[in-house]
Amino acid sequence: MSSATWRNFFTYNKYAQITARAVRQSLKESERVVAEKRGTTALKYQRWENGVGGPQVFLNPEEDKKVGKSAAV
Amino acid sequence: MLARRSLARIATQSSPLGAAPKNARNMATLREIELRLKSVKNIEKITKSMKMIASTKLAKAQRAMQSGKQYGLANSEIFQHAPSENPAKRKLFIVVSSDKGLCGGIHSSVSKATRRAIASTEKPIDADSPIMVIGDKSKMQLSRVLGKNLAMSFNQIGRDIPTFADAAGVADLIVKSDVKYDGISIVYNKFISAVSYEPDVVEVVGENALKESAGFRAYEMEDDVTKDLAEFSLANAIYAALVEAHACEQSARRNAMDNASKNAKDMIDRLTMQYNRGRQAAITNELVDIITGASAL
Repeated sequence: MSSATWRNFFTYNKYAQITARAVRQSLKESERVVAEKRGTTALKYQRWENGVGGPQVFLNPEEDKKVGKSAAV
Repeated sequence: MLARRSLARIATQSSPLGAAPKNARNMATLREIELRLKSVKNIEKITKSMKMIASTKLAKAQRAMQSGKQYGLANSEIFQHAPSENPAKRKLFIVVSSDKGLCGGIHSSVSKATRRAIASTEKPIDADSPIMVIGDKSKMQLSRVLGKNLAMSFNQIGRDIPTFADAAGVADLIVKSDVKYDGISIVYNKFISAVSYEPDVVEVVGENALKESAGFRAYEMEDDVTKDLAEFSLANAIYAALVEAHACEQSARRNAMDNASKNAKDMIDRLTMQYNRGRQAAITNELVDIITGASAL
């Protein structure tokens, strides 16, 4: 476990969100719909310098695809 | 009251040019009152429906708050056993509010608490402590007063029950941003009851302070895992604060809309009285005219 290299790229929270997303997408359809609601976030943020705000940026830029379960062929 | 009205009529009769026809002043007033009455009735409908919506949302928000609070309590257990030796000088303030208004004093209470904390003399902290704001309303209030301290702001949280994904996103951005701090204070509204709330501050220990505390050193954790723990506990604390603040906001909005509906109802009663009296006075005046006219024949 100490050889995990993901720490070089993102924080633990991001790691947890990625794994959570993987688990959610692997659930049965009915459970998945319920779980997806718990994982939605439309967060926007902006940096401030000297009392002036920068542009507002989406944390997860909207991609119009819905990753559903694909059948294992 | 009739004498007063006739006096008023005599006064208008004796005014020089441009005297409106006798009943015109009363009629114009009547029209105005009618318009006001209609608009206040509409407002009362709107505030009543907003109150209904807020009460249904409050039930759901309170349930989420009960379960979310457990995260916060479990989270703070560690810090109770690992208190930091030296008090933090440079604190990062995370102010939790929301984007929508019409909820009473929610946003200003949190902004005021932040200003008090920064200006406090009993636990002095750096005057340029960074502030990060969640929610547009508090952001606007704080940017006017403490604009130099603002480091980052977040919005689009609070439309629905806050999710852990929101909190993790915020914590992620905070850690990735290169803002320096010794400790973190989360300022949010604590839910006391369905009719009252008050601003509260929750301390989250930063990674370095955690490593140095005596209770923690007894365990010889790896640095990596300590960093993970610090980040995760920050996300937990933010999540607990978010759900509680959301519940407070819904309850405050319900109370505010309730008060607004009550006030609107009072106004409607008052205006209706005024309208009816005006209407009856106009009728009586016409009758008087007719009768004096008839008696002159």
